[in-house]
Amino acid sequence: MKDRIKNLNKYSHIIYLLVMLALLGLFFTNDFGIVDIHKTSLIVAVGIDPAGEEVQVTAQIAVPQPSQSGENVQYTEVQGSGLTVADALNEINAKTGTYPKLLFCKLILLGEGCQKNELFKTLGCFYRRNFSELTALVAMCKGKAQEMLEMPANIAPENSLALQKVLSEELKKSANVSSVDLKKLAETNYSVSEACYMPYIEANVQGTSQSGGNGDDVGGESPDSSGGQQGGGSGGGSGEGGGQQSGQGGQSGGSPQSGGQQGGQTVEFTARKTAVFSGGKFAGILDEQQAFALNVLKNSVNLAIVPADAEGVHYTVGLKSTSGGVKLKVKDGVPEATFSFKAKAQIQGARVVLDPETAMHDDVVSPEVLRATEAELQRRMEDLIKTCAETNCDVLGIKDLLHKYNYKYFEAFKDDILTRMKVNFKIQIGSVS
Amino acid sequence: MSGITDMKISVRQICFIMLAYTAVSKFILYPTALSFNSGRDLLFSSLIDFLIQGVIIWAVSFLCSRTDKTFFKLIEGTLGKVVARIIYGLFALFFIVATVIPLFEQKVYVQAIFYDTIPSLLIFLPFFAFSVYAACKGFKNIGRCADVCLPLFLVSMLFIFAMSLGEVNWQHFFPVLKTPLNKVFGGSLITAFRFVEPCWLLMFMGHFEYKKHDALKITLSYAGGALFTLLVLATFYGIYGDIAASRQFAISKISLFFPAIELIGRIDLIALYILEAVMLFALVINIQFAVHCIIKCTGYGNRAVLSLAVNGVLLIMLIFLNNSLDALLGIWSQWMWIAFVIFANIIPLLAWTMRKRDKNEG
Repeated sequence: MKDRIKNLNKYSHIIYLLVMLALLGLFFTNDFGIVDIHKTSLIVAVGIDPAGEEVQVTAQIAVPQPSQSGENVQYTEVQGSGLTVADALNEINAKTGTYPKLLFCKLILLGEGCQKNELFKTLGCFYRRNFSELTALVAMCKGKAQEMLEMPANIAPENSLALQKVLSEELKKSANVSSVDLKKLAETNYSVSEACYMPYIEANVQGTSQSGGNGDDVGGESPDSSGGQQGGGSGGGSGEGGGQQSGQGGQSGGSPQSGGQQGGQTVEFTARKTAVFSGGKFAGILDEQQAFALNVLKNSVNLAIVPADAEGVHYTVGLKSTSGGVKLKVKDGVPEATFSFKAKAQIQGARVVLDPETAMHDDVVSPEVLRATEAELQRRMEDLIKTCAETNCDVLGIKDLLHKYNYKYFEAFKDDILTRMKVNFKIQIGSVS
Repeated sequence: MSGITDMKISVRQICFIMLAYTAVSKFILYPTALSFNSGRDLLFSSLIDFLIQGVIIWAVSFLCSRTDKTFFKLIEGTLGKVVARIIYGLFALFFIVATVIPLFEQKVYVQAIFYDTIPSLLIFLPFFAFSVYAACKGFKNIGRCADVCLPLFLVSMLFIFAMSLGEVNWQHFFPVLKTPLNKVFGGSLITAFRFVEPCWLLMFMGHFEYKKHDALKITLSYAGGALFTLLVLATFYGIYGDIAASRQFAISKISLFFPAIELIGRIDLIALYILEAVMLFALVINIQFAVHCIIKCTGYGNRAVLSLAVNGVLLIMLIFLNNSLDALLGIWSQWMWIAFVIFANIIPLLAWTMRKRDKNEG
């Protein structure tokens, strides 16, 4: 017996250490703080609309359901309001038992009404302390964010996921959307340029598409965005005046959403346009072509589609191996911005009858088509630069370039660089082979 | 006899401590504080501190080549036993003070990063079970822990850098050195309280067998720790740019934008959990030194009692100042740097003067 006690004493510190490590492991890996998933709900997206002096926040909430198979998550919308977004979220938390942090929120949708407010007055709470991880995508939508979150989407069971699909990284890499997350938004807004941008989302009635445009897939393709869908003609999946639940639901909203069986017609979303902000204030909306130019200059693009008219034929040109950007130099006291873009082109479509023999050589693009493509890109960039200068909205980051790489001229040019700078283009499109 | 061997540590283990503990003790709020004070030139502020500390570490480790005596013996031989005890008493107090900010930081870090809900203070208190036990142990235990911690540190850092370096935008660091110099130096000064490594080496003096080039090895290990810290700082600021000052807990934020995390979730937390273990050992080392100094000061050798007492003081502080980290940071950055300059910079250099006198007298 004494031997056993002696042995126990001998190993007591090891036993103590093991027990302690186990305890630390349990505590620091959240095993004691774990929450029964069935007793909680997670905010996956929030929509923010102004409501007089207050803000109205609509949270799309995932409610896990016990299920042996099939669908085991239900989505619903819950509203809260308050003087700040944090007030409104607190109300939502009180209604749902949601976590106070927005760790699972992947989308922040700003209603059109937010254009009147300072952007970072509205979004400020997401940046305070560790409220959110800044990975959530941010976008502005046409109409009310609440209504857009309630629209039944056709490409995903809950529309926040459908909205995220049109803001996807893949679309960003094809220059079709100017996706930004909370981090990127603040990073650009609080830079010297004091300008930022975010995608502008529109809802379209499923299966409809506006005809026209100047290319197979770019520009003018945006479906009925004049409000018809939103209140109108097609049964209005939601909208200003009708549809499902209007804002009067007030603070207690809450409408289960299940893939469009709510009486509203399912919708498709597009985010080809871009809302721009200068000094935290709304400065306008870039159309699809201006947004395209912004995307090829600011983002890493893998494949961009551009229309080109050459040799009397309309071509749809695919641009691969792209690299674009802006450089700023001050030469002889004059700031010079060089907008460069390089890519390899291949024919993706043409308004001619397909000839299998020539189609085999689609990677060999004629010089005429290449020059027409360059001209189209330059036109879009010029249009974008003109808009930036007119609205004094430096989303291209020219002031930032002046500050970073031409610091000694910063004080002299910072106020009027956008109108004063000389613009050069260096667009080189070559054939894939 | 066991008491003597219990206080032995190898140069390898000291190098591991200098490499891993130096770095992990600066991963939580240090990058945020530097981003706030020095902006895009935060690397220069940090470099200033590391260069100063590096020189002192080299000086202390080189001093070890000239004597086998412990720091206590050096003081005793020069200024007498009473003064040695007083100085060790002050060092004990210093190590307790040096533990306060890292302890509070660690608490808020664990609560914020590892919990989705709002955890109570109780969640962090098991740390003291670990701390009480660790502080009962001597330098041999510290060395063994360092042996375990270094591979954990390297693996987790490799994992974290792999997920974050690709997201860095180096343009955030331009224009270089355009931040007013008073802010760059100010950044160094107000974060000086995070640099206690020369004191660690001072405590290890005489407890390891010095061989040729060991001073270089120790100094290079410290430079390695500095390099890891600078890399984390660069990654953190390179990812967040001008909003870095608003992001706390840098080490847990730099891998968030790794594309795979969107698809498979927070896999970076695996590395952060591993790193957390190293952080705890790095935090506890100051408490271990505090206990060691009290033993030397009082001559009372019951480590368990002293460990309980030191941890008790820290526990009481943690309970009563639970939500006062900001206030404490204010006090430490505005005033406490003076104490840190004295104890971590001036006294280690003064040890050189003590050794000479001791030799002459001998």
